[in-house]
Amino acid sequence: MAWLETIVNGLLVGSLYALFGLGAALTFGVAKIVNVAHGEFIVLSGFIGIMLVGIIPIHPLLLVPLVIVIVFAIGFILQMTLLNRVVGKDPIPPMLLTFGLSIVLKNAMVEVFGATPRSINMGGLRFKGMEVFGMTLGVLPVIIFVISVSLFVALHFFLKYTRVGRTLRATGDEAQFVQLFGVNYRRAFGVATALALSMSAAAGMMLAMRSTITPFTGGDRLLIAFEVVIIGGLGSMWGALIGGLILGVTHLVGLRIDPNSGLLYPDIVFFIILTIMPRGISGWRQ
Amino acid sequence: MTPLLETSDLQTFYGDFQALFGLDFSIAEGETVAMIGANGAGKSTFLRSIAGLNTQKKGTIRFAGEDITRLRADLISRRGIALVPEGRVMFPSLTVEENLLMGLGTDRAGAWTLKKVYELFPALTSIRHSSSVRISGGQQQMVAIGRALLTNPRLLLCDEISLGLAPKITNDIYACFSEIKASGTAIMLVEQDIVRACQAADRFYCLLEGRISLTGRPADFGIEVISRSYFGTGDHHGLA
Repeated sequence: MAWLETIVNGLLVGSLYALFGLGAALTFGVAKIVNVAHGEFIVLSGFIGIMLVGIIPIHPLLLVPLVIVIVFAIGFILQMTLLNRVVGKDPIPPMLLTFGLSIVLKNAMVEVFGATPRSINMGGLRFKGMEVFGMTLGVLPVIIFVISVSLFVALHFFLKYTRVGRTLRATGDEAQFVQLFGVNYRRAFGVATALALSMSAAAGMMLAMRSTITPFTGGDRLLIAFEVVIIGGLGSMWGALIGGLILGVTHLVGLRIDPNSGLLYPDIVFFIILTIMPRGISGWRQ
Repeated sequence: MTPLLETSDLQTFYGDFQALFGLDFSIAEGETVAMIGANGAGKSTFLRSIAGLNTQKKGTIRFAGEDITRLRADLISRRGIALVPEGRVMFPSLTVEENLLMGLGTDRAGAWTLKKVYELFPALTSIRHSSSVRISGGQQQMVAIGRALLTNPRLLLCDEISLGLAPKITNDIYACFSEIKASGTAIMLVEQDIVRACQAADRFYCLLEGRISLTGRPADFGIEVISRSYFGTGDHHGLA
């Protein structure tokens, strides 16, 4: 039963990992940008959350939508003013730009928020547990799981059934040719990055709820996001969800076997999956 | 009467390489014009230049009186120029119907609706929810044309419709052009197949190595003369 509990907890934390990856998958899938500053945006969103919790006296979970909206705007402006200048056939310039951006963001966050670990004060909810089929699960991780999976489902419906979603998918396929249908692909990139970062915003806030963040937490999250995206298959949404859940389970199972292993076991699993399925879960048939 | 589209001294470049050398071209409202020429003559480049996909260009392109030479491609499509691109270019993540619906992105009012397109190409009705890359080349070509029509264009640019298709399928697709003409849309056909192009068009331009080598009405010249101009002067026997 204890093992089952570990696996279920792995799924719960894995949903958050999946959300880290979702944003990265979306930026890559539509704008073909590898955003090296992805982790910093996750952490920045966490800090924005921490700041707002101090200002607005409502429950922190209710602030998640507000942070999503704020970071959506940041993402759109970022793409339209900065990233669109360097997008093109060569994938290196956007990578270098976001790499520089990650360093700037890290230092700016140290300046503004300090380097001490901080978290969002969840009151009693943080350590509240509940009994499910004889297992003891944290209430907060279950809530985070539900929100994460809901965001996946919401994004799925948005991309599949709305005109904007259709345009984003077409832009990911053929950015040049969507222009023939009245689409400004640079603006489509802007919407994609805005959506991607708002997913990271939700992830960052919930990360700050379940554990602590510092301006330096971004690097590890970026690594997780990349592993999730690559396990799932580049640009695939559902691949990212499964990839995140696999990493979450191996992480906690690994820590149970060997408490000092850190991210070693997820990395090994990542390596094995990549060897067997170089195109990731969603691309293994091709 | 001013032409619908007019290019004067149009030159297009790929980096240091020049593909078009000063093309003067015009097409009137409702007219069908063929542009014929061999592989690499610059036909696709010409269409891409008009649609705004090639941006390295000199000279002027005027559409309905407006200079669109430097206009962004998405705005050109909103003005009413549609391109059926070479190789059809499906959006693989989208179904057949979603590909067609992309045509509505220009927000142009007009006679063409999704229902009309299905009436024009009944073969698409039963595969509307299929993946656009798992259908035949002929069906893809119908999607590409239908998608362009849904933008309700004043000018339809068609790049090598017959490429890679069986003659019977090509016939079926060409048969629909009379209906498109009837809707008042001007059509520009790029073709390697001289006979087919001359049958469909009111006028033709022959393109040779980035320059116009001959232009006029097909009936005034005959296939023999046109094909000589197609391949350049010299040996032309048995090639058409």
